[in-house]
Amino acid sequence: MVYLKNCMDKIQNTYKILVNEKLCPQYWRMIFNAPDLAAEVKPGQFVHIRTDDQGLQPFFRRPFSVYRAQKYVEIFYDVVGPGTKLLSLKKKGDTLDVLGPLGTPFKMPPETTKQVIFIAGGIGIAPMLILSDLLKKKKYELILLYGGRNRGHVYPMQEFKDNGVKVHIATDDGSVGANGRVSVLFDKINKDPQHTFIYTCGPNPMMKAVQAFAAQHGILGQAACEEIMACGLGACLGCSIETKHGFKTVCHDGPAFDLDEVILH
Amino acid sequence: MNISIKIANVTFKNPVTVASGTFGHAERYYNLEEVKRLGAIVPKTVTLHPQVGNAPVRIFETPSGMINAIGIENPGIDVFIDQKLPALKKTGVPLIISILGHNEEQFIGIMEKLNKQEGIAAIELNLSCPNLKHKVLVAQDPVATTQLVKKMKSLSKFPIIAKLSPNVTDIAEIALAAQEGGADAVSLINTFTAMAIDVKTRKSRIGNFTGGLSGPAIRPIAVCMVQKVASQVKIPVIGMGGIMTASDALEFLIAGASMVAVGTANFINPRAPIDVLEGIEAFMNENKISDIREIIGSLKQ
Repeated sequence: MVYLKNCMDKIQNTYKILVNEKLCPQYWRMIFNAPDLAAEVKPGQFVHIRTDDQGLQPFFRRPFSVYRAQKYVEIFYDVVGPGTKLLSLKKKGDTLDVLGPLGTPFKMPPETTKQVIFIAGGIGIAPMLILSDLLKKKKYELILLYGGRNRGHVYPMQEFKDNGVKVHIATDDGSVGANGRVSVLFDKINKDPQHTFIYTCGPNPMMKAVQAFAAQHGILGQAACEEIMACGLGACLGCSIETKHGFKTVCHDGPAFDLDEVILH
Repeated sequence: MNISIKIANVTFKNPVTVASGTFGHAERYYNLEEVKRLGAIVPKTVTLHPQVGNAPVRIFETPSGMINAIGIENPGIDVFIDQKLPALKKTGVPLIISILGHNEEQFIGIMEKLNKQEGIAAIELNLSCPNLKHKVLVAQDPVATTQLVKKMKSLSKFPIIAKLSPNVTDIAEIALAAQEGGADAVSLINTFTAMAIDVKTRKSRIGNFTGGLSGPAIRPIAVCMVQKVASQVKIPVIGMGGIMTASDALEFLIAGASMVAVGTANFINPRAPIDVLEGIEAFMNENKISDIREIIGSLKQ
């Protein structure tokens, strides 16, 4: 059932789940066997999953950033509602109706870049690993600034470390790493705009803080945005957000936008 | 097997189309080989001037459905004709162009521009969008419906379809008013005005305050309205409202619809219209039905 392939570089297919596991008290990882999809995915793109076979309850598909796409496709998720609850109940060997890869991927850093900073809050870590898989091949200094609510939101992040990423953590209650929001880690950033490029994903207040910091120092970057989504294909225009260039769909024009382009609320 | 349907002078090769607003301007789909199998394509409603649409949040998921308040975001009729129509024509699928004016002059303005075009099968008058802060929709007033349909019918070189609102006391009255104005068909239903509230913030979930409810949640009401209208009008009815499967579509056909439109289901399963078409054909094969007209309006008392 790879009928979308010819026309849109998009695949709708049924894939078998290989792993569905908790990585820490808060977050889950699912791995499914999708070599055709894995070959197409670029960092920042997402997959749109029908968590209920009949698609009636919950009704919408659920979008997930691709966490990693090597031989298999991996997603990283938080159980926040009925869709992700259903997903967490899936067992090894169960199948999923997946549509992807969707959306505009992250832009690559400009030529002069020496330091690449990933700034992620909570589940916003999801698109960063696949990005580090790609960027580790270049000679960048890679740094992850991760903010979590508490200990339960922190996991070893060994894959990042294996990619040569320096990991710095802050928690709201100080139970792991620095005490406070991820902004307490901004002193790790090289403030020379020629040399630094930021990728950020997380709650809007966090991304607003990143946006303000970047604007202050003239640093460029990209932000991966989120909105309630229906079709995932740019047809319904339901997931539009405000940007300096008018309303843009997160699913088709995004999820990756220039950091200074999006108007965050 | 004959599954073709005629509306006015246009023959559609099968009764399955898509509901306006759920297929974009088909640019995300039009290369799709399977789109060419559809009976007709109804692109998103076009207005005289470009519209940026409503402020987010524009959609919200509800039990077996969704509320939307997109606000007819579209590039306007001139850009549509220049940039969207050529690609749509290339599909070879009959095009039903959905249009909306904020007053009669705007409807006339759009019609005059479309009249200069070729390769359009029919015009659907969107008389029923609930998300544009109009106090009363045309499709909520039988006199206004007759008047506007009559005016458009007198101008248009294409057949005219009137898209009706379910937000009325008696939808058959409005359908009859459209028929009196000379409509070649009516399509129903558009969405139900609806609201969902975030109990934490005590604010509406939708940026536009209210939106339109669609999806399988509304299907039984849509089937009932289609049955009511089809039993009273002489013109063909295009039925829609929460169709997800062929079985859903068959309900509408049995209720009296000549064609069916798949809408919200496109967002869940991009292949839904083709699944519906194939399912109708399979149903006819299984039941040894050679002509779709044996199904249409075959509801037993």
